[in-house]
Amino acid sequence: MNEAQTIAVEVTAVEQVTPLIRHFTLKAAAGGALPAFSGGSHIIVVMRGAARIHRNPYSLLSSPHALDTYEIGVRRMEESRGGSQFMHDSVTVGSRLDIAHPVNLFPLDKIARKHVLIAGGIGITPFLAQLEDLHGGAVPYELHYSVRSPEHSAFLGRLQEREGGHVHLYYDSAGQAIDFDGLLSRQPLGTHVYVCGPAGLIERVIGTAKTWGWPASHVHWEQFSAPPVGDAFDVFLARAQCTVHVAPDRSLLESIEAAGVEVPYLCRGGVCGFCQTRVLELDGELQHNDHFLSDREKAGGRTIMPCVSRARCKTLVLDL
Amino acid sequence: MLITGIKSKPVYAPLCADVTGRHHLMLGVGLGGAALLRVVAELETAAPAALATTRVLLAAEDTFERTGIASLARFDDQAPLLEAFTTALEGSLMGTRLYVAGPESFIGRAMQIALRFNLNKDEIRAEECGTLARRVRCVHCRTTTEEVRTNIVRCAGCDRWLLVRDHYSRRLAAYMGVMVDAEAPGELPPIREIYL
Repeated sequence: MNEAQTIAVEVTAVEQVTPLIRHFTLKAAAGGALPAFSGGSHIIVVMRGAARIHRNPYSLLSSPHALDTYEIGVRRMEESRGGSQFMHDSVTVGSRLDIAHPVNLFPLDKIARKHVLIAGGIGITPFLAQLEDLHGGAVPYELHYSVRSPEHSAFLGRLQEREGGHVHLYYDSAGQAIDFDGLLSRQPLGTHVYVCGPAGLIERVIGTAKTWGWPASHVHWEQFSAPPVGDAFDVFLARAQCTVHVAPDRSLLESIEAAGVEVPYLCRGGVCGFCQTRVLELDGELQHNDHFLSDREKAGGRTIMPCVSRARCKTLVLDL
Repeated sequence: MLITGIKSKPVYAPLCADVTGRHHLMLGVGLGGAALLRVVAELETAAPAALATTRVLLAAEDTFERTGIASLARFDDQAPLLEAFTTALEGSLMGTRLYVAGPESFIGRAMQIALRFNLNKDEIRAEECGTLARRVRCVHCRTTTEEVRTNIVRCAGCDRWLLVRDHYSRRLAAYMGVMVDAEAPGELPPIREIYL
């Protein structure tokens, strides 16, 4: 994906929906309808800051049936490299941004007999779009939404107004917790479970589903990782024949892009596997941060996801 | 006309117990009973508690005597067995593993029902035992001819001579049959019994 394939958008509304989450509405700068998408899709938002460009994935939370605008929810991440802070501090009504076309790495199973959606915090966003597809349909569904406290429950008005009985809400502050065993031990055959939220929640759902005998094909999850900050290192690109320096607060992918070498990507969050790159030489260790490679592939040291993974090394040569 | 090397031809493997499942539903027809006995014995060793959630539906001659499993139901024929299977699926929970043992035509029909309940490959195991006779769907008149043992068969619906291909439809639980003498009417390759 390169810049030519992005869409220029203008921010038409900004709303602070919780102390940490801002809700942005975007329309095509050129006017007209935005590309169609399905519930669970995300876009990459390109943010041109003064010092650097950020490209972050955000789930579309607006209705797939209304393409005059896209809506995203952005949680402020204090410990991050600045993308969400840029969205919170520098983006206002009228701001121009570029976005990549929507990609769905978290779709609903089309022939499921029941959907169980489990959201934690900002993880609610992909489900808001999916609910638009489920609403009024013949397939039963339920949403279990866990948040810190009432003031942290984003988009609740919209959820309860439309979804009423399908929504089960849990406040950590009131000591309420999802009964994972109860939920996953009694679902009818043909049910699919979807989870989006903090790593702990996702692990809990995957683990509990496994305990109750759920096969992998019925368990879906999405968690975009922000590229973590790490030690600086150098990488040699074998085909481009150049050395690229990766600064502590830049990802490997960003650094390669800044050097003018294009790497195909879709999610920039360690999920999709699109940017998988062959490691030709390594003296040191790879620091895998993706959710795509198997443990065996990670241990093998022959391949890396430059969007979120790094290296602590003397030498790293990539097949780029 | 390509008749072999087609990827849709189902591949079966000897049944083995899947201890990652919480509930086990087993269907056996004909010689399939013996395969299921083997799985039950495996479960008994690997995960004894699983026997209490194991249900067996059987239309087989052999004696399947087993204590410890949750239920064993016997049927005279495939049809009532498949009906009971549908009912069983309606009441089944996520975490169920399906084991099917019998002739391919039976496996195909059981799979057709399992698909309706959105069971995926990682929830189903099937072992082919018994006749290789095929259900053949005429691509011209859409009639399914049962119990086909020959490479070429006359369609039960339109009387065309059909070449039985390896092209298999999971939705229809049948192999595709294509008119074999369309270009030269009456000129048939030798008819041989190959699906025994």
